[in-house]
Amino acid sequence: MKYSGYQGRLCRVNLTTGEISIEELNERDRSRFLGCSGYGAKILWDEMSPGMDSLSDESVIIFATGPLTGTLCPSGGSYELCFKSPLTGIWCEARSGGTFGPKLKKAGFDYLVITGRSEKPVYLLIIDGKVEIRDAAHLWGRTVTITTEIIQEEINDRDASVATIGIAGENRVFFSPVINDRGRAAGRGGGGAILGAKNLKAVAVNGSRDITVADPEGFMAAIGKAEEALDHYPFENFNQFGTSLLVEILNQFGKLPTRYFKYSTYDRADDIGSKKLTENYLIKRRACFGCSMGCGRYSEVTTGRWATPPGEGPEYETLNMMGALCLNNDLESIIQANHLCNDLGMDTISAGSVIAFAMECYERGIISKDDLDGRELRWGDSEMIIELLGQIARREGFGAILADGVRSAARRFGPEAEELALHVKGMELPGHSPRGEGKTLGLQYAVSPRGACHMHPNWATCWDAGFFDLGLKEFGLPWPPTDASEEVGSQKGIGYHLVALSGEIAEIMGTCIFHSWGLADECLTPRLYAEMLRTLTGFSVSAEELLLAAERSWNLKRSFNIREGLSRKDDCLPKLMFEPLPSGPTKGEHFTDLEGMLDEYYEVSGWDKETGAPTRATLKRLDMDDIASVIHG
Amino acid sequence: MIKTLVSLPDKCTGCHRCEMWCSMKRKGVLNVERAAIHILRREPAIDSPQICLQCGICIEACPLGLIKRDKKTGAVVIDTEKCVLCGRCMMACPYGMITIDPIDRHAVKCDLCGGDPECVKHCREGAILFVEADQAGRYRREARAKGDKREGRRYLLNDNKLG
Repeated sequence: MKYSGYQGRLCRVNLTTGEISIEELNERDRSRFLGCSGYGAKILWDEMSPGMDSLSDESVIIFATGPLTGTLCPSGGSYELCFKSPLTGIWCEARSGGTFGPKLKKAGFDYLVITGRSEKPVYLLIIDGKVEIRDAAHLWGRTVTITTEIIQEEINDRDASVATIGIAGENRVFFSPVINDRGRAAGRGGGGAILGAKNLKAVAVNGSRDITVADPEGFMAAIGKAEEALDHYPFENFNQFGTSLLVEILNQFGKLPTRYFKYSTYDRADDIGSKKLTENYLIKRRACFGCSMGCGRYSEVTTGRWATPPGEGPEYETLNMMGALCLNNDLESIIQANHLCNDLGMDTISAGSVIAFAMECYERGIISKDDLDGRELRWGDSEMIIELLGQIARREGFGAILADGVRSAARRFGPEAEELALHVKGMELPGHSPRGEGKTLGLQYAVSPRGACHMHPNWATCWDAGFFDLGLKEFGLPWPPTDASEEVGSQKGIGYHLVALSGEIAEIMGTCIFHSWGLADECLTPRLYAEMLRTLTGFSVSAEELLLAAERSWNLKRSFNIREGLSRKDDCLPKLMFEPLPSGPTKGEHFTDLEGMLDEYYEVSGWDKETGAPTRATLKRLDMDDIASVIHG
Repeated sequence: MIKTLVSLPDKCTGCHRCEMWCSMKRKGVLNVERAAIHILRREPAIDSPQICLQCGICIEACPLGLIKRDKKTGAVVIDTEKCVLCGRCMMACPYGMITIDPIDRHAVKCDLCGGDPECVKHCREGAILFVEADQAGRYRREARAKGDKREGRRYLLNDNKLG
């Protein structure tokens, strides 16, 4: 291994042949893309030929860690799943916390690359550099909790981390995640369906390998600085209330997606908010590996119709999607829905969103009782939400239609439904309203490489709402930002460009994004990341070089999608976003000139205004001639 | 008065940062398996820092007399260079707090970092405290009474119900 921090090795498993090989990392790609989803994107670029079916035997799925994963970096508990999504047909990355990523590194590998398809259900056991393909016949059809229990018991290691799919993944539900440590999901885009198609039920990892440190004194000093900055972290209640506190905050300012995004305030928001969750159902807080914040919820409903065993969640997205989006103010049913999604293996965002979409279609008469086995589907019907979750996971009845995601369901329901379906590139809109929050978020939904996404690579609103500069002022971030509701001529292009790159740094470092939010001295800035990386690995890297690597990774993911046939016309928003919000503090907000914003953004990022592809000059500047020669000939 | 470690499982979020600081301090690497403090995460709802109480039962157990109490810090310290890994101390320790380093094969036991424990300095939750001995008793009685687990209903996890 050339550099500390990395394990320097990649494990490749071909499930068709049963072949397991261990390789050194490619030094040129490591130095260009640094790690995690950046290096993962390069593997996918090399090994997934354009147009390849993501559920085919040959498709590739990668568990990726970064140099800072599993270290004292205060957000270093993440890994990312990199794959081509069955939901969207394009690049997808899905981040998850818990302990899986750090334990994959402890087992001796930075990456686990899986291809092929096993004849029979199997799981992978990776302990201290030894990799074994094991029979999983007894695990097929089991829930995430039970699968995790059984594997930990049969390998006699309660500290091993198990990443598994539930029955939704086995049934190839297009938005089924891989769930590690029982309740942490590599949530979006359907990575679980790919494992299901490969007959790979789970991956269990543990080990006792060192992560070496090039300059221990320097590294400890850098971590000290990071911990000190985070003492001033601006979301001071984040650790106490977790992401759930966004329910009340966003509702107050008219930013809470409600009734399938029609409104941006919910009069019953307090019923599903952080206060009620914390007071009545929270057992404890749980942190991912190495996280000094610990925003994770661990909750339980002890009695009643929706009695739910103790487990992780619900997070804000779940509260919003299963709650306000469906006009469901029954918090206990949301906790139950969260548990079902975790245990059956489904993404709570897409699942909640397709159900809200079905409610919308039902109200408008696009679907009827006949489609629903004679049952009604009215707003707020918690009983039906739970029922449909089971149906989706089992691909039964009406659930089978919803299991392919909102884009596909809308095609089945007809043109009127297609206009109502809220997605970008096939990815359902998450619980952040672009009309309510600000126009930069709309730009983000339009250009994000995995479709409508509030997290990859960063949450744009944290900048244009005037919350944080993320330590980017010195790199040219407009501060204070202009009015969030403005579109063209308000520096949204350069603003989003830098905010995205700051998020992309976390992507390639293998860390969580949450600690990147704050003003320059209260969060993990590019400078701090560079200092941690430099002292950990021993190679020289500046904040500027880190941003450059982030830009490479960002452009590689874009290029992947361009190679799949996407172009500027796919950078769009659903029709509803161009209609004024009818009520609340953000009444009247809507998009008028997304195209103008795209022009500004393409200009800054060096993408062709006609095609939306990174120009040859941009790729050349980024030392990516090999990528340019593929997409430009 | 002499000081000792106290663990407050109720406050622990299971982040493992104490273990990493411990391995950094001891070995200059990041490896929770080499730490002298152990964070156990179990279901449901357990995150528990396991600490050495410096009780000294191991002192008597060592046939070579290699385990001694440091007069200044009160820590019970193993002379790991001379230790032959016979396992007597590990057998004697009621708390399972002596282990073998998986990399260099030396005995691992908390030595209170010479009187300034790294884990305490870096626990942002206040789940590990370094307190005067008379205070420690209060916390320990409390912890024993409660057990490591919060109250919660017992569930039969039945997949048929869900699947």
